[in-house]
Amino acid sequence: MKSVRTTVLCILLLMVCSLQGWSQSSPAEAFKNVTIHTADGETIKSGTIVWRNGVITSLGKNANIPFDAYVRDGGDSLHVYPGFIDGLALWGSPDIENDSKKPDEPGNPSYARAGIQPDRVPADQLKFDDKVLEEAPKHGFTTAAIGLKGRMLAGQVDLFSIDGENTKDNVLENGIGILAQFEEAGGTAYPSTTMGVMTTFRQLFNDAKALRQQQRYYASTSGNYSAPEKDKVLETLYPVMDQDQPFYFVVDSKENIERLFWLQDELGFEVVIVSGKEAYKKADELKKRNISVLASIDLPEKPEWKKAEEKKEESEPREELEEVTEEMRVFRERQLTAYKADIQNIRKLLDAGVKVGYASNGFKLADIQDNITTLKEEGNLSEEEILEMLSQTTAEILGYGQKMGDVATGNMASFTVFSKPFSEEKAKALYSVTDGELTEFESKSSN
Amino acid sequence: MKKILLLTIALCISISGYAQETGSVLIKNGTVMTITDGNKADTDVLIEDGVITDIGKDLSAPRGVKTVDASGKYVMPGIIDAHSHIAAVDVNEWTNPVTAEVSMEESIDPTDINIYWALAGGVTSIHLMHGSANVIGGQNETLKLRYGSNMDGMRFEGAPRTIKFALGENPTRVHGQGFDVKPRTRMGVEQVIRDHFDAALDYRRNRQEYLDAKKAYENGNLDTPPVPVAKNERLEVLVDIIEGEVWVHTHSYRADEIVMLMRVFNDYGIENFTFQHANEAFKVAPELKKNNAYTSVFADWWAYKFEVYYSTAYNASILNANGVRNSINSDSGELIRHLNHEAAKAVHYGGTSKQDALKMITINPAMQLGIDDKVGSIEEGKHGDVAIWDGHPLSIYSIAEKTFVDGKKYFDRSEDKDDMRLEADAETDFDEGRSRWYNENGRQNNTCLRGAEIRFTKQGMKLNQSRN
Repeated sequence: MKSVRTTVLCILLLMVCSLQGWSQSSPAEAFKNVTIHTADGETIKSGTIVWRNGVITSLGKNANIPFDAYVRDGGDSLHVYPGFIDGLALWGSPDIENDSKKPDEPGNPSYARAGIQPDRVPADQLKFDDKVLEEAPKHGFTTAAIGLKGRMLAGQVDLFSIDGENTKDNVLENGIGILAQFEEAGGTAYPSTTMGVMTTFRQLFNDAKALRQQQRYYASTSGNYSAPEKDKVLETLYPVMDQDQPFYFVVDSKENIERLFWLQDELGFEVVIVSGKEAYKKADELKKRNISVLASIDLPEKPEWKKAEEKKEESEPREELEEVTEEMRVFRERQLTAYKADIQNIRKLLDAGVKVGYASNGFKLADIQDNITTLKEEGNLSEEEILEMLSQTTAEILGYGQKMGDVATGNMASFTVFSKPFSEEKAKALYSVTDGELTEFESKSSN
Repeated sequence: MKKILLLTIALCISISGYAQETGSVLIKNGTVMTITDGNKADTDVLIEDGVITDIGKDLSAPRGVKTVDASGKYVMPGIIDAHSHIAAVDVNEWTNPVTAEVSMEESIDPTDINIYWALAGGVTSIHLMHGSANVIGGQNETLKLRYGSNMDGMRFEGAPRTIKFALGENPTRVHGQGFDVKPRTRMGVEQVIRDHFDAALDYRRNRQEYLDAKKAYENGNLDTPPVPVAKNERLEVLVDIIEGEVWVHTHSYRADEIVMLMRVFNDYGIENFTFQHANEAFKVAPELKKNNAYTSVFADWWAYKFEVYYSTAYNASILNANGVRNSINSDSGELIRHLNHEAAKAVHYGGTSKQDALKMITINPAMQLGIDDKVGSIEEGKHGDVAIWDGHPLSIYSIAEKTFVDGKKYFDRSEDKDDMRLEADAETDFDEGRSRWYNENGRQNNTCLRGAEIRFTKQGMKLNQSRN
C-alpha cells in the first residue's frame, strides 16, 4: 500500500513539474528602432522585432513589446535581415581520407574506398569546434544544410542552426537529402571515370532494388527462405528510390547536368542541383523538370588584361598596355563574353523561372562579400534578389519555406543585425540571433 | 516516285532521333567518287534535308537550295575513322580488367576542337572508342562530327552498339604487372575473356529463372518466393555480345593472339568482330577471311612497344588482296586530320588500287561499324555526308575545302577563322590557351592508353595514372 502511495505521489510530482515546464517560457527579447529588411525586399523603418522561445512573436512599426521583454534600442541605425541560409555547406567536415594506397583489387574496392558512403551522418562526424561555425554568423548565416566532404555519394545532408560549438545541439533535421556528385574514387580504384560513376549509380540502384525485394519476401514468409544480408549503404538509398529524399547533386558543367538528367530519367529520383556554375545553359530544362539550384557564387576572376584596361581608364596612363594582335583581340573578346555569361548565371536562371538558392560548397566565407558586390555590379542582380536567394528561396528549396528564411511573425527567430545594409562595403554583423539565441559580436564598437 | 520516297526518308531522318540539324545543297560539276559505283566526271550531287536525293548531270537546285560549284574538284564521301579517341572526356576506366558496363556515349566532349580539325581533313564520322587498358573495356560510340551540337546530337543514330576488347601488352601491364591481378600473361587474357563469357551465360540463366519465378509467385503459381538476382550492368553487356547485339572491336597486334580470339569467339558463337591495329594480321589473312573478320589498321605506325616491332607497311594491301575487309584508322588526334594520306600509303607501298584504298577510309569502316547502309559512299538515299577536295584525295597536295554532314556545312576553308573553339573559358588567358590547344592535341595524345599511360624507367615499367 505504501509503495502505491509513493508511486502516485511521484507521478503527481512529475505532472506538476512537466506542467510547469509547459507553462514556463523564457522572457521575450526585442530590438526596437531598427530597419527591418524582409526577404522580399521590403523595409520597415524604425521597426520593432520581438521574439520568444525561438519564434518571432511580433514585428512592425508599432509592434507590441511585452512587459517582460529585454529590449535593445537600435537607434535607427541598425539593419535587421533574415538569417542567411547556406543550402549546402561543408563546414566542419573532416577531410577525405587519404586514399593513395592501392586496394587489393582496384576494380573491386570497398564501398568506402569507392566513395559510396550515403549512410554517413554529418551530425555524427562534423568537427563542431571548427572556427568556421563561429565565423559564419558574423557573415549573416544562421542556418545551414551541412554535408561531408566525399566522393560520389558523400553522405546525408543535415540541417543545423549555426551557433559556434552549440551547433552540435542544434540539429533541425537529419537527412534532408543525400549529397551526390560525379566524383571518381581517389587513386587506384573503381570507378575512376565519369562513365564509371554513372554506371555505378545504376548498379547501386539495381542492388538496392533486389535487396529490398528479398527483405520483403523474407518478411512475408514463415520460413524456408534465405535471410537477406544486411547492407546499410543500399538501405540508405531506399528513400531516394521512393522519391522521399532528394539527391543534393553537385554538378557544374553543361554536359554533367545533361548526364544528371539521363540518370534521373532512368532511376527516377528527386534532385536539387548544388553549385551549377553552367546551369544557365540548361535553364529551360531545369524549369521544365522543376529542379531547383543551390547556386555557387564562386565566380571566375575577371581577366587580368580587362582589369588593367579598367585601371588605365580610371587613372593616368602611367604605363602602356601590351600590344594586342588581331588574334589576341578575338580571343579576348570571347574570353570576356564567357566571363560575363558565367557571372550572369543566376540572373539567367531566375529569368527562366528556376528557383535559385545559395550553397557555399567549400567557398570561403571571407570571399562572399566581394562576390556579392560583383553579382550586383556585373551579374545584373539587385540587392533584393540576392537577399531573397540567401534567405527565403534557399529555405523553400530545403523544404523550410514556412518556418524560416524571412523575418515574419511565426517564423523561427533566426536573423542578423548589421551595422549597414548587408551588401555595403564595411557592413558588419553586430548581433546574430539563431533560433532565438542571441550572440553579440565584439566588432560592435564600429557602430 | 523514287524522288518522293527519298524525300520521305529525308523527312523521317530529320524528324526522328535527336532533332539533328540537316541541310540541303546542290554540288555541281565535280568528279564524284561514289566509292561503290566508280568515279563520275562533271556530275552533280543533290542533297535535300540531309539525304542524297539525286546524282546526275545538269541537275537544278530546288527553290531555296544553295548551289556549290565543284568544277575541277573531287566530291568524296566523308571519311570514317573506325578508331578514334577525340571528343572524349575519359577514355579508360582502367581499374578493372573487365569494364563492359561503362560506355563512351557517356564520355563525349562535344566541344573538343579536334572535332573541327578532323572535319578539316574531310572526316564526317568517328568510332569513339574506349581505351585499351582492359581485356574487355567499355562500349564505344559511333559519332557524327556535328560540331556545335550537344552530346546527344553527336550520336550516329541507328549505329549498332560496339565494345572494345584489348589483347597483349596493355592489359597485362596495367592489370598483371601494375595491379597484380589477372591477367599477367597472354594466356591469362584468353582466360579472363572465357571466364567472363561463362559468367555471363550463368547470369543470363539465373536472372531469367528469377524473373520467371517472380512472375509465377506473384500470379499465385508458386508457393515460395524466389531469391532475387539483381540486374548486373556488366554481365548484361556481355550477354548482349554473345547474343550478337554488341559488335566487338579488339585492340590486337600479334598473329597468335588474333587466332586465339577467333577461336574463343567461335566457341561462344560471336560473329561480328573487327581486329583493331592488327599489325601482324597479314600473317593470318586467310584465317581472318575464313572467319569473316574485319581488320582496321595503321598505314605505317609501329615500334612504339615490343609487340609492335614485327610490322609492315604492306599490311593493309596484303589483307585487301586476301579479301579481308580492311580499314585504315588514326587512333590519334593528329593522324585523323589526313587519313587520305594514310590510305594513299596502301597504294604507294602495296600497290593497292586507288579505289580500294579509298574504300579503306569510307565504305569499309562503315561496314565495320554497321552504318554502311547510311554512309561510306555517294548513293541516292544515303546521308549527305560528303567533302569537296581541291584535287584527288590521294594526292599529297590535296586538301579538303568543304565538309558536309547531313547536308549541313560544318567546315569551309574559306571561312576558317583563327579561333574555332565552341567554348571560351573565362579564366584561360591568350598565351596559355594558344599553347595548350597544340600541346595537348599532338600525335601522342587522344590515343588508346589515355588515362593509364605507361612509361619506362630504369627500374622497369611504371604506370602513370592521369586524369584527362
